[in-house]
Amino acid sequence: MTAVIALARFRIAGYVASHRALQPLIALLALLAVLYATAVPAGQEIAATADSAAMLVPVLAWTARGLLDTEPDEQRAVALSALGPRELVSGLLAAFASLLVPAAIAEAVLLVRLAGSPTLTVVLAGVWLHLLSAVAGLALGALTSRPILPSPAVSTITLILGYLSMLVLSMAGARWLTVPVMAWMHDAHHGVLLSGLPLLTVQSLLWPAIGLAAYTWLRRTRP
Amino acid sequence: MRIASLSFRYGRRDPWVLSDADLVLDPGDVVEITGPNGTGKSTLLRLVAGLLRPVRGRVEDRPEVVGYAPERFPADQPFTVAAYLRHMAAVRRVSTESIGRWSERLGMDHLLGQRLPDLSKGSAHKVGLAQALLAEPGLLVLDEPFAGLDAATRAELPRIIGEVGARGGIVVVSDHQGDLRGLPGLRRCEVRDRAVRELEPAEEAGETAMTVLEVEVAASRAAELAERLRAEGCGVRVAREAAR
Repeated sequence: MTAVIALARFRIAGYVASHRALQPLIALLALLAVLYATAVPAGQEIAATADSAAMLVPVLAWTARGLLDTEPDEQRAVALSALGPRELVSGLLAAFASLLVPAAIAEAVLLVRLAGSPTLTVVLAGVWLHLLSAVAGLALGALTSRPILPSPAVSTITLILGYLSMLVLSMAGARWLTVPVMAWMHDAHHGVLLSGLPLLTVQSLLWPAIGLAAYTWLRRTRP
Repeated sequence: MRIASLSFRYGRRDPWVLSDADLVLDPGDVVEITGPNGTGKSTLLRLVAGLLRPVRGRVEDRPEVVGYAPERFPADQPFTVAAYLRHMAAVRRVSTESIGRWSERLGMDHLLGQRLPDLSKGSAHKVGLAQALLAEPGLLVLDEPFAGLDAATRAELPRIIGEVGARGGIVVVSDHQGDLRGLPGLRRCEVRDRAVRELEPAEEAGETAMTVLEVEVAASRAAELAERLRAEGCGVRVAREAAR
């Protein structure tokens, strides 16, 4: 086991043992209860999966931020002394692993609440969209974590505004200017999601990649 | 290891904490950093350990394995002492046997089953020291390591620091209480007015003029007190038992 994975395990263990892991999980359960109060009608599978992935982004960002913020600042300094810049990689790895759990729960509940039985392609496209959602959540969570935004109020507002800007910009059709979460839903409801998925994937990963690069750059002076 | 023309401030609008500071650290050096409160000792230590990036200047040839014990150990973590140290040993890629060794030397083996938030300040501080020592660091950075420690550990720590230096490690310690003064070859540097200045032995002349102090102490406590005084750099001779 490498040092990076050992540190990620330590952070996940700390996150799970703290109460923080429960907060986004409760929000997720509330969201799922609203989304799936009635079963998803046959033929709506791909649309429902896109809705789920799009609405999950803030919950996943909250999870990632919670994991990164659980560790006291001085403990992060200790980790930094042990691993150097790889400390950051370990943090992102742990955060990504931690938000795979709510993403998987959302995907599983969705599959259970489908009235019809989906094709394998639809299931795989759903998993893929949830992974895109997880990457967007990771970037948003990392950029609002304590080393970057020390004030909890500013951090929470930035997280919410970050998600709202994704909604507003992608609703306006600006697919390259944000993570196009509204485009996921639009394309799925219009039956063109699968054919346009490669381009949509590139558009959906562009801003998270820029966000994570910005996080890495900012962390140089914000240990 | 060399600190060259190092300047640091926390933000663009903040005042400089250190300006154009230089310091050369050779293998085996034990350096005590002194200076009034708030002058930047902890900042210098963090720069030395690589936790902060210099705004200007460089830190060159830092040893690969760095041990860092913060001034206040972050005890607000949901682990027992043993679980925490096992995690840190895994992060450091060292065997868990070293946990037992350092727990024993720091007098904390009875604490291993306790939860970190339940520890007293001194006990938590020992956990911080133990994690820094786990991996045989080539550079050991200790921020106020003697604060809150019991007498036995206060006496043991200078020996541990001496051993790290003897095997070629660099040790940088901030210390208000002068617990390292007895260590042969100790270098002392002062942080003041944004600069790091090496204190010449002549500047400590006041401390080198020797005097003899007679101390009466209960026989049962004599050995412990002698140990403590030796750790503080005093020559101690147990003369005789006083006739009472």
